[in-house]
Amino acid sequence: MIAAAGGRLAPARPRRRLRRLLPIYGLLLPGLVLYGAWAAWPLLNSFILSFTDWSLTKPLTPVGLANYLRALGDPLFWRALSATLGYTVVTVAGQLVLGLGAALLLNRRIPGRSVLRLVYYLPVITSWVIVSLVFTYLYNGQAGALNWLLVDVLHVLDRPVAWLAEPSTALWAIAVLGIWKGIGWTMVVFLAGLQAVSPELYDAAEVDGAGAWARFRHVTLPELRPTTTFLLVVLTIGGLNAFISIFVMSSAATGTVGGPLNSTDVVLTYLWKQSFAQLDLGYGAALSFLLAAVTGLVSLVELRVAREAAR
Amino acid sequence: MIGLRRRRGLGRWLAFAAAVAFGLVMLIPFALMVSTAFKPHAYVLEIPPRLIPEAPTLDNFVEAWTSQDFGRYFLNSVIVAVASTTIAVTLGSMLAFAFARYSFPGRRLLFGALLFTMMVPGMVLLIPQFVLARNLGLLNSLAGLIVVYATMNLGLNTFLLRGFFGSMPQEVFEAAAVDGAGVWSSFWLIGVPLARAGIATITLFSFLAAWDEFTWAIISLSDKNLYTLPIAIRSFQRAQATEWGLVFAASLIALAPVLVLFVALQKQFVSGAFVGATKG
Amino acid sequence: MRSPGMRRILALAATAPLLVTACLGGGATPSPTAAPTQAPAGPTAAPPSGPTPTPEISGTVTFWNGYAADGDEIKTFTEVVLPAFNKLYPNIKVEHQEIPYDDLRQKLVTGLAGGTLPDVLRADIIWVPEFADQGALLALDTEMQDFQQLADATFPGPLSTNQWKGHYYGLPLDTNTRVMFYNDKVLADAGVTALPTTVEAFEALAAQVQARLGKKVYAYAEGGTGAWSVLPWIWSFGGGVTNADLTSADGVLNGPGTVAAVTKLKEWLDKGYLSPSILGGGVATSEQFGGGTTASILEGPWMPTIFEKQFPDLTFRYATVPAGPGGSASVVGGEDIVVFKSTPNKDAALAFTRFMLSEEAQRAMGKIGQMPVLKSLSGDSELPDYYPVFQKQLETARARTPSPAWPKIDEAISNAVLKALRGDTPVQDALDEATKIVDRLLAGG
Repeated sequence: MIAAAGGRLAPARPRRRLRRLLPIYGLLLPGLVLYGAWAAWPLLNSFILSFTDWSLTKPLTPVGLANYLRALGDPLFWRALSATLGYTVVTVAGQLVLGLGAALLLNRRIPGRSVLRLVYYLPVITSWVIVSLVFTYLYNGQAGALNWLLVDVLHVLDRPVAWLAEPSTALWAIAVLGIWKGIGWTMVVFLAGLQAVSPELYDAAEVDGAGAWARFRHVTLPELRPTTTFLLVVLTIGGLNAFISIFVMSSAATGTVGGPLNSTDVVLTYLWKQSFAQLDLGYGAALSFLLAAVTGLVSLVELRVAREAAR
Repeated sequence: MIGLRRRRGLGRWLAFAAAVAFGLVMLIPFALMVSTAFKPHAYVLEIPPRLIPEAPTLDNFVEAWTSQDFGRYFLNSVIVAVASTTIAVTLGSMLAFAFARYSFPGRRLLFGALLFTMMVPGMVLLIPQFVLARNLGLLNSLAGLIVVYATMNLGLNTFLLRGFFGSMPQEVFEAAAVDGAGVWSSFWLIGVPLARAGIATITLFSFLAAWDEFTWAIISLSDKNLYTLPIAIRSFQRAQATEWGLVFAASLIALAPVLVLFVALQKQFVSGAFVGATKG
Repeated sequence: MRSPGMRRILALAATAPLLVTACLGGGATPSPTAAPTQAPAGPTAAPPSGPTPTPEISGTVTFWNGYAADGDEIKTFTEVVLPAFNKLYPNIKVEHQEIPYDDLRQKLVTGLAGGTLPDVLRADIIWVPEFADQGALLALDTEMQDFQQLADATFPGPLSTNQWKGHYYGLPLDTNTRVMFYNDKVLADAGVTALPTTVEAFEALAAQVQARLGKKVYAYAEGGTGAWSVLPWIWSFGGGVTNADLTSADGVLNGPGTVAAVTKLKEWLDKGYLSPSILGGGVATSEQFGGGTTASILEGPWMPTIFEKQFPDLTFRYATVPAGPGGSASVVGGEDIVVFKSTPNKDAALAFTRFMLSEEAQRAMGKIGQMPVLKSLSGDSELPDYYPVFQKQLETARARTPSPAWPKIDEAISNAVLKALRGDTPVQDALDEATKIVDRLLAGG
């Protein structure tokens, strides 16, 4: 993870050491002050509050690990966590595969490349709230365009499905939005990675008689490994922290955040309900740190696996 | 040889066809959004969906722009997004450069803390940030939005750019050091120009995130003259009978600046964007 | 990250509770936006909240509300109500902020934690017990000399929603309930002339609508299975949520009345009388109604103004909820007006509150669908002619369970009814399960 450090190690004399370090800390200082005040300090406060029974104006009572233990025994938390992991696996895989596909297509010299790039990128730059509303509208069980397409045009289904109201489909319908919205971003990253692959490698493979698939398998994929690792980690963090789309779509379609039947309750929607509907803020804080721990753990595992695979 | 070239030509056209088809699928939701924005209310949910409105109207755009102080909100959004992006990009580059190119006591700890903060859901920071803003007198001010948005983007910016700076060849910096360049001139004269693509990328991301944020805005602002665009758009949605045409028209207006920024920056970040980040 | 630094942070954390309590100062801190403008109150300050206007009171009053931005609510409030108030109190400046429901909730919670609250709030009636319980609200019955007089002028039902542990923490501001709206055109096409008054008659109407107009037109549409949606039917069938002293749901939420109501809804859904939108993911009920694909919906008094704008050609009639074994019951909604303890400007805040209950203010907001709470305005000629049916319904309408655990109770009911309607679980089993959850919540677990 840690990039190559360019600086030389400190010389022996403390004054020279200080003179060397001073400008470096100068570079760090403004950012760290901002970050310390507005992220680290609030985080520390919340962390402490996660060990208390905190319901707003009522006096704080320290409860030790009670909030964390309660979460571990809370079936709704486990349910939300497993939905979160499911959502993450599907959206990360979808974005990686389709983003790579899009990048491979646009890496060729085809006409209208820059227009297509913009088209793929449009979802990325549109606000989450708005695209969530658009998809709610697309998925409508009585007048949605998707049902019209599947029932009246393609005849794949014989009657419309209320995609966001079926407990078995709602979360995955929302995941489709997550994928659609992320393809463009993933594509841009892959495009950059592809441009760094040296053309000589392909030429050599072609001379060896490798077909398109073999060239993809043995040149493109291995060369893209660092790119893929980076994407894997960043997309995973994003998936585990999915909130706005689920909040907006579940409440618009079913009137309940996390509905129908809690099937779209992810950790963050559950956390929102605990904190802002129930005013159980100490518990909410504990849930946040549990999610952060899971996120850290998953990222570490992904990095380790990627490193192993690279060997 | 000729056969090979023809095969390649065919492949190119196949790729083109596939790319266009995929693009059309990606565009469906937008097509609905755009066509709905031009429809008067009663025609909103129609089956079969009609892409070209029967009686297209600009009413939704006019109402979106005039029913509230939309122009002022737009301006507020521009101020907040530009200022917070400038801060998040400048400070993020400085942090990333230090983390990537120098060793100093506390480096691992500070970077680890930065990464961990990125993993904690922002929702849990809301109340402590609110209390802090109150104590510093930053509630109900654009400055309060700017610092929070800058912070919100700082972590990812640092993480992304650190990879860029880290993958730059050591020789360039050594040569500069021989010429007497210090930390700051290495950063400014060598690091920043070489990381142009990465900086363009984080500029777009930071701007976009600040442009879209509404939770902090609505919680910390009480003066309507300070409202930003997302608050205005949100007020068009209501529990009863959302005017979809109006909501979509308002959001198309809001999309314009981000689109302009993307087009302006796109050359920068496709030529070599992320090369650095991915070598992390 | 297993570095010594982490240990240092933890060590720091151990010393920090002091900082935290200092940081989260509770609800007592004055609101900075309102503080500086308070001017000396002058010689008449002695009776702090006399019933007659004391125009010398000055200062700023912040007022948070959820008035809708695209309807006439904000417009009427700013162009009619506020100028009238400022005629009486030229020195009080009202800074009002309209915030959508979910965001208002989040803003209030954050404000409570940060001690930055408005002076006056238009609060959903189900929030009042909760905020009173937080100790954030002024007990108006002790703060206002003329409280009894003001309270006596309002309808007892809406007034009761302000009560918490022996005190009144607010006054009713507007009230509403849901009544049946019937689409004239659909009824005419189906050959129906008389509006049903009983469940049996409603069922006959449904059968006739389906026989004449086919399966594309429903008799009734609902947008979900939450308490607000299904309680009118549950109550009208003789069911309910809890016993009278709010200690247990057993025998009520899973009792015969509730079971009969849910069973009936399922039957209607299966027969195609009830639009599938009740299961979620469908077209908004107002859109179905306006588009003529359902004969009836249950709606509130704010809806006619919206229909007028969105479906100018639509005509419809109103009726009370069809009566069943439990009579014709609907659900009470509405807002109360409350004053936060943290207000630095109590006199001005109370003066504003009092004005919002005046006939003048109540009538102005009443004209655009915010039903007045004053008995004296009942039958007022300037108010919309559809109010009498809502008022009649309000006589038998009931309030949702006043409990801090209400959001969870609501979710339990919503899930149980949804499972039953979908056919995932038999009605009785689904309600038994919900009863267990609600009983646990009522017991404070």
